[in-house]
Amino acid sequence: MLIASQTPEYDRLDTPVATPLTMGSSKPKSSNRAYFEANIESCLGRLYGTALQLTRNPSDAEDLVADTVTRGLDKIDTLIDCNRFIYWLLRIMTNHFISECRKIEKRTGHESYVEEPENDEPFSLYERLHQPFLLWWGTPEQDFLNKTLTEDIRAAIETLPVNYRVVVVLSDIEGMSYQEIADTIDVPVGTVRSRLARGRSLLQKALWQHGKESNLIDQKKPGQ
Amino acid sequence: MSMSDDVKIIQCEEAIRKMLEYIDEELHQHDHASMEKHLESCRECYSRMEFEQRLKSMVKDSGSEPAPPGLNKRINKIIKDY
Ligand SMILES: [Zn+2]
Repeated sequence: MLIASQTPEYDRLDTPVATPLTMGSSKPKSSNRAYFEANIESCLGRLYGTALQLTRNPSDAEDLVADTVTRGLDKIDTLIDCNRFIYWLLRIMTNHFISECRKIEKRTGHESYVEEPENDEPFSLYERLHQPFLLWWGTPEQDFLNKTLTEDIRAAIETLPVNYRVVVVLSDIEGMSYQEIADTIDVPVGTVRSRLARGRSLLQKALWQHGKESNLIDQKKPGQ
Repeated sequence: MSMSDDVKIIQCEEAIRKMLEYIDEELHQHDHASMEKHLESCRECYSRMEFEQRLKSMVKDSGSEPAPPGLNKRINKIIKDY
């Protein structure tokens, strides 16, 4: 069962579902289907936004949303709490996405596509920017962010291995708690915590590399 | 004020280690209070926290993208044909 393991602590999170309606197992199956049909449209924007962050390609994102809807209809009986409709859909979407990526990884032999090898040092963009020789010019960290475009952030997210991209998107874009992410992708909370720390570190590293390549950082000074 | 007396004093190293979980509001109450106390008195960590927070909100803003007009139609068709 997809969301059978829910505990009451998730009740604090509101979802954009219009009609609060909790269904017990005694309800006829067709009412789940009716709820799905009535509410799917209001979720499409959010599903597409997340799909786009995950796939980084508009046409793949549309396919992912379409697959999610089909799979949702297949698994309609696992929709237990309609207040959690969007999270139920996001769960179907992320798990489908991860499993498709694993297939690509297997097929292409591209090992760090889903998971990054563990030997990477933590990277802090703030520490790189907040150095005495750069501080002569004011506030390099703030200047860096001022010059960073939405496209730069999106490109950096795209470089993340899938396992890290998923937690960064669910946390920083979807605003899910660590526990909710853990429930969505079926891993322990500790794994979410470490993947998120690592994912953000990789994201900052990608922004730093990009900043150097596009001359957002003064490279003439020593230490670069 | 017995509340503030109970707050554990932490150093920069610990504050930096817990910074992202602080921003995510995932720290336990007592750790959260220790962080707040540290940030009140440490300009360096406060500036780092502002940076991380701003970057996080930039990542959030990068995620909003309206669904393309054709998607709705495609989804309706899937539901109808299912
Ligand atoms: Zn400090």
